[in-house]
Amino acid sequence: MSVTARDVMDTRFQTLSPETSIAEAVRIFKQVSEDRQQKVFGMMVTNDRAELVGMLSMYDILMLIRPKHTHIWGEMDDIDVSGFIAESCRRAKSILVGDIMTTELVTITPDAHLLLVLDIMLKKHIRRIPVLEGGKIVGIVYISWVFYHLMERITH
Amino acid sequence: MPGIKRTNVLSGLTVRDASRRMVASLPESATIEQAIRYTIKYKVNAVLITDDAREALGVVSKTDLMTAYYAGLPTASSLRQIMVGPPLFCRVHDPLDSALDIMFSNRVHRLYVHEQGNDPNHAVGVLAYPDIVGLLYRYCHRCERSVGRTKRLQPGEEDMETLTAMEVMTPSVEAYGEHSTLLEVMEGLAAHRFGAVLIHDKDRLPVGVISKTDLMIAYKRGVPVDAPAGRIMNGPVLSCEHGDPLVSAIRKMIFSDVHRLFVHKNIPENIVGVLSLSDAARVRSGCCRACVTGRIRVEDGM
Repeated sequence: MSVTARDVMDTRFQTLSPETSIAEAVRIFKQVSEDRQQKVFGMMVTNDRAELVGMLSMYDILMLIRPKHTHIWGEMDDIDVSGFIAESCRRAKSILVGDIMTTELVTITPDAHLLLVLDIMLKKHIRRIPVLEGGKIVGIVYISWVFYHLMERITH
Repeated sequence: MPGIKRTNVLSGLTVRDASRRMVASLPESATIEQAIRYTIKYKVNAVLITDDAREALGVVSKTDLMTAYYAGLPTASSLRQIMVGPPLFCRVHDPLDSALDIMFSNRVHRLYVHEQGNDPNHAVGVLAYPDIVGLLYRYCHRCERSVGRTKRLQPGEEDMETLTAMEVMTPSVEAYGEHSTLLEVMEGLAAHRFGAVLIHDKDRLPVGVISKTDLMIAYKRGVPVDAPAGRIMNGPVLSCEHGDPLVSAIRKMIFSDVHRLFVHKNIPENIVGVLSLSDAARVRSGCCRACVTGRIRVEDGM
C-alpha cells in the first residue's frame, strides 16, 4: 500500500490573515505552539474566502528584523547593539503579514506520494507544504512529520 | 614630468569587495504588488527584472513604484508596464572607484555585476551606495586615526581632522504639513529627487517622515493618494546634531537601516539639513581629512 500526503499531513491547522500585524502573528505562533505542545515556525495565510494566499514563516520575520548590514557588526565591538535591536523590532511591528508573506507557493494534493513530497521538500528547501483538495486547504505536511514517519519504518 | 595621482580609501578595491551576491529579481510578468513585497522583505531599493533565461531586461526601483502609485496603476499590473531598462552593469574586477563614477555620472543608485567573460546580461551581484558606505565605515573603524580611537578632546579644543555632518549634508529640507496629500508629497519627492520628506505639524514642528518605503506600503494597502500625509508618516524623526562627526552619523544610518538622517542644530526641532548615504559616498574618503591629504602620492612618468 502506498503512503501518501494524507497519511502524514496535519489536519489541525490555524491560519493567519494578510491583515494581521507581525506582532499579532508572533503571538499566534506562540499560542499555537503552547496549545499543540509543538513548536510552530510557519503558518498558512488565507483570505476572507478561506483560500490559501501565502505562507508566513519564522524565516520571513527574521529577515525583516535583521539589519541589512549585519556583516559589519562582527568587528564592531564598541557599539551598543541593544538599541538597534529595539529599533528593528519597533519598525517590524507596523508591518502586516501580507507585506512579507511568501506567495510563490508549492502545494500538493492528499494523494501525492510520500517520496514525492520528500523530494519536493529537499529540492526546494521547504519545511512545510499545504495540502489542497479541489482548491480547499485540507492539511499541511511538516518535514518533521515526514521524517518521523520514515524513521518509524526504519526502526520496525 | 611627474604627475600627481590622488587616491582615496577606495583605491585598490574592486567591485567584488563591496557588492552583494544576492540579487532580488522577478520576471516581467510579476505584479507591482509582488515587487513591493520584495522591496520590504529583502530591504532593497530596486528589483531586477529578468526573462525566462534570467537575462536582465530592466529594473523597477522604489521611484518607479511610487510613480505607478501616483499614476493610479492597480497593484495587480505587471512590472513590464513600469520597468526601466536596460540596467547598467559593471564587472566583478572593476575598480570600485570607477564603478562609483559610473553611478554618479548616470545618476543611478546601483549597478548590477556580471562575471568577466560570462554573459554580460546575467547579474551575479549588485553594487549599491549603502554597501560602499558600509565598506568605508569598516575601513575607518580599523584605522589607527579613527575618531573612535583618538583621545577625548578637552573642553574648547577642536578636532580639526574630523568631517562633520553639516559639511556633507544637503542644506535644504523638503517639508510638508500633516494635512498635505500623498500626491503632493510624491510630487515633492520626484521634483527634488529626495528619498524622504519631513512632515511638520501646524506649528511647523517636525513630527514625522515619509519615505518612499512608507509610500510603497501605503500603495500596497490601498491607501488613496489624496489621503493626508499624517496617516502614513513614520515618527519620531531620526536626526543627528549638525556638529556630530560624520562617522557617527554613518554608523547611525547603517545600523538603523535608514538611508538618510535629518540634521538638527542645537535642538531636535530645528532641522537644518539632511544627510544621506549617497552624500557620505560622495565624500569617498573615510571620515577624516587625514584620509584624503595623507594619501596623495606622486607617481613618476605619469
